[in-house]
Amino acid sequence: MLNRLSTFLTRTAGNKDTAERFGMADVLAYGYLLLGVLIVLVPVLWTFFSSIKPERAVDSFDTRLLPIAQVQTEIEGIGTKPEWIHEAGDGGETKVFKAGPTRKETDVAPIDEPGDVFKVPRTQLRPSEEIRVATENYLDPLLKRHGQENFTFGIYLFNSIFVTVMATLVTLIINAMAAFALSKYRFRGRLTFTILIVATLLIPSSIILVSLFFVVWSFGIFGSLWGVIIPAAATPTGVFLLRQYMLTIPDELLEAARMDAASEWRIFWRIVLPLSLPALSVLAILSVIWRWNDFLWPLIVLISDPEKHTIQLGLTQYAGEFDTDFHYILAMTVVSLIPITLVFVWLQRFITTGIATTGLK
Amino acid sequence: MSLAAILMTVLGVLWIGGGSVWLLTRRRYKLVQVPSFLMDLVGFPVEYAQSIWGRGGVPYALLLPNMLIFGLFTFVPMILNFYVSFTGGTSILLFNRPWVGFQQYADIFSCETIFEPRTCSNAGFSFWKGMFNTLWFVVIQVPVLCVVALVTALVVNKNIRGRGFWRAMFFYPVMLSPVVIANIWNWVLHRKGVLNEMIGGTRDQLSAMAGMTGFDIVVTVLLAVVLMVVSERALRSSDTPSLAWTAVFGALLALLFGWANPLSLIGLGGSIWLGGALALGLVLIVSSESRHARIAIIVAGILSAALLISIQFDSVFDFGRYRPINWLVQPNTGWPFFWLVFVFTWSHMGFYMLILLAGLQAIPSDLYEAARMDATRPARAFWRITLPLIMPTLTVVLVLALIRSFQIFDEVYLLTGGGPGRETFMIVQNIYEVAFTNQSKDYGEGAAGSVLMAVVIAIFTFFQLWITRRQSEL
Repeated sequence: MLNRLSTFLTRTAGNKDTAERFGMADVLAYGYLLLGVLIVLVPVLWTFFSSIKPERAVDSFDTRLLPIAQVQTEIEGIGTKPEWIHEAGDGGETKVFKAGPTRKETDVAPIDEPGDVFKVPRTQLRPSEEIRVATENYLDPLLKRHGQENFTFGIYLFNSIFVTVMATLVTLIINAMAAFALSKYRFRGRLTFTILIVATLLIPSSIILVSLFFVVWSFGIFGSLWGVIIPAAATPTGVFLLRQYMLTIPDELLEAARMDAASEWRIFWRIVLPLSLPALSVLAILSVIWRWNDFLWPLIVLISDPEKHTIQLGLTQYAGEFDTDFHYILAMTVVSLIPITLVFVWLQRFITTGIATTGLK
Repeated sequence: MSLAAILMTVLGVLWIGGGSVWLLTRRRYKLVQVPSFLMDLVGFPVEYAQSIWGRGGVPYALLLPNMLIFGLFTFVPMILNFYVSFTGGTSILLFNRPWVGFQQYADIFSCETIFEPRTCSNAGFSFWKGMFNTLWFVVIQVPVLCVVALVTALVVNKNIRGRGFWRAMFFYPVMLSPVVIANIWNWVLHRKGVLNEMIGGTRDQLSAMAGMTGFDIVVTVLLAVVLMVVSERALRSSDTPSLAWTAVFGALLALLFGWANPLSLIGLGGSIWLGGALALGLVLIVSSESRHARIAIIVAGILSAALLISIQFDSVFDFGRYRPINWLVQPNTGWPFFWLVFVFTWSHMGFYMLILLAGLQAIPSDLYEAARMDATRPARAFWRITLPLIMPTLTVVLVLALIRSFQIFDEVYLLTGGGPGRETFMIVQNIYEVAFTNQSKDYGEGAAGSVLMAVVIAIFTFFQLWITRRQSEL
C-alpha cells in the first residue's frame, strides 16, 4: 500500500505499472534549476527592489527586501528631521526628533512640541519607519531635478534609439542585398565573395580597434553617431542567416516575375524581401540587441562629447561621477534594463531559435 | 569639410537627383505609388547597373554596399594595423606619422625575461601583464563556460516542467548590456552588499546553532545515517552503481572532509578541496563504468566512517566573526579574478547553452530508445551517445568561447577597471588605454599590441581546431 502510494506520488509518466519514478537524477536537475534561479534571477530582482528604496536605506545598505525608510517630518522653525520613537519604561511611546548630537543621553523633543527638550538614554530610541516606494530615484534623473541636471536621459535615449534604428535598417537592407546576390545569382567571383565574408567572421573586432579609429577619423565620422552606425553595419552573421533562408525560396517565383518584365531590384523588394521576413525579423532582433548593448566602440568614438552619449555610456559616466549615489545608479540601471527585457519577453521564441540556428552572436 | 561629407554630398546629389530623373523618364508613377517610387530610388544603382550591363551586372551592384563596408571598415584596418604599428608619434594624420620600423615591437619585447613582466619597459610591462592575465583568464574561463553550458543544456533538455521558461531564464543575462551587468554585480558584491550580509548572517546562525549542547553529536549521527542510506542507494542496483546517488554521496563526502579537516593533522588547510577532488574522482570512476566503481564507493564509505569517528567534539563549528570581504577590490586574494570568471560565465553561458541545446535536440531520439531497450544506464548513454554526437557543436562552442573570452574588456573595465593593482588587467584594456586614454596617445604601440594579440588568437584557434579534429577522428 505504502509502496503504491509512493509510486503514485513520485511518478512522472506512465501508469502504476510502467511508472517512471521521480528519481535522484530529477531531484538533482530541479536542484540545479533552483540554483539557477538563485544566481540568475535573484540579483536582477534584488537590483530592482533596491532601486525603489529611499536614499537613506540604499546608502546604509539596508538588506531588507521592502523599501523601508525612516520617516522624515517637517518641524516648524527647525526643518526636516528624521523621526524617532521614544519607548519610555512604562510602555508609553512618543514620536520625537533628536534635538542634539547622539550621545549616551540624547537630547530629544516631541514632534508636537518642538520646544520641550528632554534627555533620554540612547537605547530607548528606535527609528520610526514606514514603507515608501521611492519614485524620486527614477523621477529626479528623468526630470532633471535635485542636482541631476548632468544626466540628460532624453538625449541618451534619443542617441541610443537613433543608433539602434538606423543601424538596424542599414544592416537589414545591405545584408539582404548581399544575401540575395549570393543566393540567387550565378556569377564569376561568387565563391570569392563568400570566402571574403567568412574571413570577416574570423577577424575579431577588438584587434582592429586602433586602425579602425584611423579609418573612421579620416572619413570625418569620428565623434558622430554615424561613426558607430556604419563600421559594423555589414555583418557576416546577417549575410549568412539571410542567405541560408533565401536559398529555400523557389527560383520559379523569380522566373515568373522576370516573364512579367519586372526589374531585378523590384523582384528583390517585392518578392524576395517579403518572403524572407522570418529571417529578416531574427536579424532585426539580433541587430537591436547588439546595438543597444554596444559598449567599447561607442566608448572610443563618442566619449568626448556628452551630447552624443548613448544610454550605456551615459550610465557609466553617471556611475563614475557620483560614486555614492547608488540609488540613482540602481534606478537608471533598471530603466535601461526595461526595454531589452520587454523585447526579450515578447520575442523570446524568435531570439532563441535565431541564435540556435545560426550559432552566432 | 571632411572627406565623408564631400563624398556623401556628391553621392547624394547623384543618387537622388540623377536617380529621380532617370526613373521618371523611364517609368510612370501614379500618386499612390510614391512609396514604390522611393523604394525604386533606394535601389537606383541596381536598376542602373541592370540597364547598362544587363542581368549579369546586378549581383555585383547588390554586393557593392556590403563589400564596401567590409572592405573599408574590416579589411583596410586589418592591413592598416601593420602600417600603424611601424609608425611612431602621436599624430592622427597617417602621413604625418614617422616610420620607426620595429621600434614599437622592440619596446614591447624589451624585457629581461618576458615571463616576468616586472623586468620589462613600461610598454612591455603593461602588455605582458595584460597578455598573461588574459591567457590565464582564457585557460580558466573556456572550460568553465563549456562545462556549465553543457550541464545547463542537458538539464534544460530533460523532460522537466516549464522547459521554455527555464531556457529563457538562463538565456536572459545574454540580453543585458555590460553596463547593466556590472552595476548589478557591483551592487551585490559591494563590501556591505547583500552577498556579504547573507554569508555573515548564515555564519552567525550556524555559530549560534553549534553553540547548543549536543549539536555536534546529533549532526554526526544524522550525517552517519544519511551517508549510510545514500551509499546503500548508490550500490543498490545489481550491475553498476547509480551515478546520481553517487554524486550526492560525493557532495556529502566533500562536506565531511571540510568538517573533519583531516589535513589539519599535518598542519595544512583546505581539506574541503581535497574532499571535493575525491568526490569528483568518485563520480568520474562511476560514470566511466569502471569495474572498480563498486569497490571505490565502498572504500569511500569506509573512509567517511573513519572521518566521522575522528571528528573531535569541540568548537568545530566556531566560525568566529565574519569580516566582510570587498570582493572586487581586495588585493592578493584572487577574489576579483574569481568574480570576473563568475560574472563572465553568468552573462555569456546562456548563449552557448542555446547552441548546445540545438545540438542536443538534433540527436535522433531512436538512439536513446535503442539504448533503453538494451537497458543502458543514463551515464553510459551520455558518454557513448550524447558526447560523441555533440562533439562537433562542442567544438564550435569551444572556438567561439575562446575568441570571445580572449577579447574580454567590457566586464573587467566596468567591474574592476583592471584592478586591484593590475590583477585583472586584460590585453584589450591595454590596447584601449595605450591608444585612447593615456596622456600621450601612442597609436603605434596600440597597433603593435593588436597585431601580437591577433597572432596569439590565431595560434590558439588553430591549435584548438587541430586538437578537437584529432579527437573527433578517434
